[in-house]
Amino acid sequence: MTNDQLSMTFAALADPTRRAILARLASGEASVTQLSEPFEMTMPAISKHLKVLERAGLIARGRDAQWRPRRLQPAPLKEVASWVEHYRRFWEVSFDRLDAYLQELKHEKNRQEKRHVRKKRTRQRR
Amino acid sequence: MSEKNAPASAAEEFVTTRLFDALRELVWQTFTEARHLEKWFGPKGFKVSVAKLELRPGGTFLYSMQTPDGHTMWGKWVYREIVAPEKLVTVVSFTDPNGTPVRHPMAATWPLEVLGTMTLAAQGNKTLLTSRSVPINASQAERDTFKAGFSSMTQGFNGTWDQLTEYLAGLKA
Repeated sequence: MTNDQLSMTFAALADPTRRAILARLASGEASVTQLSEPFEMTMPAISKHLKVLERAGLIARGRDAQWRPRRLQPAPLKEVASWVEHYRRFWEVSFDRLDAYLQELKHEKNRQEKRHVRKKRTRQRR
Repeated sequence: MSEKNAPASAAEEFVTTRLFDALRELVWQTFTEARHLEKWFGPKGFKVSVAKLELRPGGTFLYSMQTPDGHTMWGKWVYREIVAPEKLVTVVSFTDPNGTPVRHPMAATWPLEVLGTMTLAAQGNKTLLTSRSVPINASQAERDTFKAGFSSMTQGFNGTWDQLTEYLAGLKA
């Protein structure tokens, strides 16, 4: 098992319940009870998900000792977003360049064909 | 391990499409000839050099990419299936200069090998490219990583990703 930050974040994000929890926290901090409301899950099950998110550095506990709200820690998410963005960009940027390059090749071909036709005509006239 | 060889489900695929304003034969050439690949393949600002290109099943396309800060990265495709001019199936990986697959230093659970299937469909004078990527010979952790990375982002995180994206955009501002 590897413990680099990105791998831990990816593992935490692989689960739909945990993604839903993060999405909920994106609109503000919430207590464990509030977080468990949309799910048909036991509190221990929810707590387990929260622990995974906490270990991955995606959420933190608020200061209020009694209420203990969880809040989103966005730094690892940003890293994931930029990682995927980089990978996706590789193809997007490549395809943009290919697009332009194909046009270049087409023009080149057209020019060659025209030159060829012109030569042929001159030859015929002679 | 049985999970290692289990076929990946459609939900684990990363799919992109692109319509090119060129005939299929020409698009095919730009994907399969070194002199063309060096002109467009790779991230912006990177200088791509083709070290090897053997266009046959089992053959390798090995390339290096020089980053703008002078650092060199290597990658390869191993051809699995070649059906000119419509289909190209390759196993894609980051490698060392000898072409041995290596882990990405930043993400140890990123799949070592990704199976890429590219199809070209003629649409009049244009060509529709569809590219599908899916991890192969991957552990559960690698598959989860890929899925978390791509499917969730491209398929919108079941609608919830937008909120997060917005949130992150707010933080950058």
